[in-house]
Amino acid sequence: MIIEAHDLKKTFTTRSRKGPQTVEAVRGVDLQVEKGQIFGVLGPNGAGKTTTIRMLATLIAPDAGTALIAGHDLLKEPAAVRRQLGYVSQAGGVEDTTSARAQIMMAAKIHAIPDPARATAEVLERFDLTEIADRPGRTLSGGQKRRVAIAIGLVHNPPLLFLDEPTTGLDPQNRANLWERIEQLREAGTSVLLSTHYLDEADVLCDRLMIVDHGQVVAEGTPAELKREVSGDVITLRVDDHARAAETLGPLARETRLDDDLLRVYVDDGEHTLPALLRALEEQGVKLSSIALDRSTLDDVFLAKTGRSLRDTGAAA
Amino acid sequence: MIRHTALFTGYELKKSFSNPVWPLFGILQPVLYLVMFAPLLKTMTPGGSTEEALRMFTPAAMMMIAVFGSLFSGFGLIAELRNGSLERYAVSPAWRPAIVLGRVAKDMIVLVCQAILVLVVAIAMGVRIGAVELVLVLLLMAATGLFASGLSQGLALTVRDENGMSQTLNLFMLPIMLLAGLFVPISFAPDWMKAIAPINPLYHAVEAGRALFAGRLADTSIPIAFAVFIGLAVLTTIWSMRSLRKIAG
Repeated sequence: MIIEAHDLKKTFTTRSRKGPQTVEAVRGVDLQVEKGQIFGVLGPNGAGKTTTIRMLATLIAPDAGTALIAGHDLLKEPAAVRRQLGYVSQAGGVEDTTSARAQIMMAAKIHAIPDPARATAEVLERFDLTEIADRPGRTLSGGQKRRVAIAIGLVHNPPLLFLDEPTTGLDPQNRANLWERIEQLREAGTSVLLSTHYLDEADVLCDRLMIVDHGQVVAEGTPAELKREVSGDVITLRVDDHARAAETLGPLARETRLDDDLLRVYVDDGEHTLPALLRALEEQGVKLSSIALDRSTLDDVFLAKTGRSLRDTGAAA
Repeated sequence: MIRHTALFTGYELKKSFSNPVWPLFGILQPVLYLVMFAPLLKTMTPGGSTEEALRMFTPAAMMMIAVFGSLFSGFGLIAELRNGSLERYAVSPAWRPAIVLGRVAKDMIVLVCQAILVLVVAIAMGVRIGAVELVLVLLLMAATGLFASGLSQGLALTVRDENGMSQTLNLFMLPIMLLAGLFVPISFAPDWMKAIAPINPLYHAVEAGRALFAGRLADTSIPIAFAVFIGLAVLTTIWSMRSLRKIAG
């Protein structure tokens, strides 16, 4: 285990004109990450993902709970923990006026690497940054900046890398590019803890993941396990009478769920259920305005566990 | 500890001098004051000569760059707070106070370079100062700059917002400037101003600077100024290091 955390809690108190307000950002999170794994923390904005990562990265002290990171106690030996970490925050931490090379070199020197110039050149090469290495940070594109941020976090070859929402704000092409690079980390044996509110990202990248909502873990497992739990396929219907449709389809489905004005019907085998489903609706005189058949996604897991769709929480899928 | 402080100092210095136009602009202001304001003061000084006016105004100009050059350096920290690089350094194995101390040290080094340039201009214009006095003036400037830089970093980490920071600085700058007798010596001021001026730490620095430029090494204002500014510099530096702890557990 590279991370073993138990019952982490953090409450923030903010002072406002209405008096102090407390926000329970993280309410008892357990987390186990095995060496070499890419572990995802999936959840909507405000679910406590960043707070969890910031606690594990020694940036904020948890109110309660314990954690062992790369064999060191988070609370008792923060300095030892920091030596084992690479940390890439949501903001990225790329400075505007300094070149990528100077920033990476500085990180290498702080970590007292024997040959900082060589380590810098290597990591620049590895992230295809050699050509833009001497340009100041502010002239880089969003995707380049992200790569510089990760290069800074990796120059000292840490066994564990924290990536807080690594692809937020990137266009699809840059996201796919970054995914590939994150997957290469697995081959290099680096353990990764990444937070995301993108379902597809968690699905594609993570060996294991946990879904968090309101500061609590609502589900944990491999992406396949989680999806299997919900069932195989989901048929999404737009009908004029939800109640009657749900009643009619009950016997055919493992579960039906109303998500805004959409009726989601979870079935084991969508292709073969579809004809029977259509017939049943016709017989009952339910008017159907649209229908779609999909494999169930992590959003269905989220919906099943929290009663809300991740899309409704403001996070794009 | 020392290695990390040196590392951050070097990094910040490289940043400052990667675009030498900005530190140059910083020096230009006091030089312009010397060139354009000292002649104006001539008519008000007892001797009535440009040398007299310069002897009175050069120490004021030097203290001015010491305080106002360094007071704004905290803005850089706010930018780094926002782009996440400060957080990144806080997670690194760097000795945390070095992150702030490196900046403060950079400010002092830039300050001494600026001071030497201002002195060169002043000497070219006819000001004379002894070697011991010169070293003491530079040391006093360094202590003043350390105080102002520490204050600025601490303020930046507490306010965390460029707008709030510039408003706060503006609020304090004018009274501090006028009550220090930077432009017009306090001896011209009415009694009530004379009475409250000693509350202003900068007043002591300017008085001591003038004493040093006048060659009055035994003047009591000199030990007072050193005591005040070394004390204040220690306080603000500790405060700025503490403030860093607040943003990063």
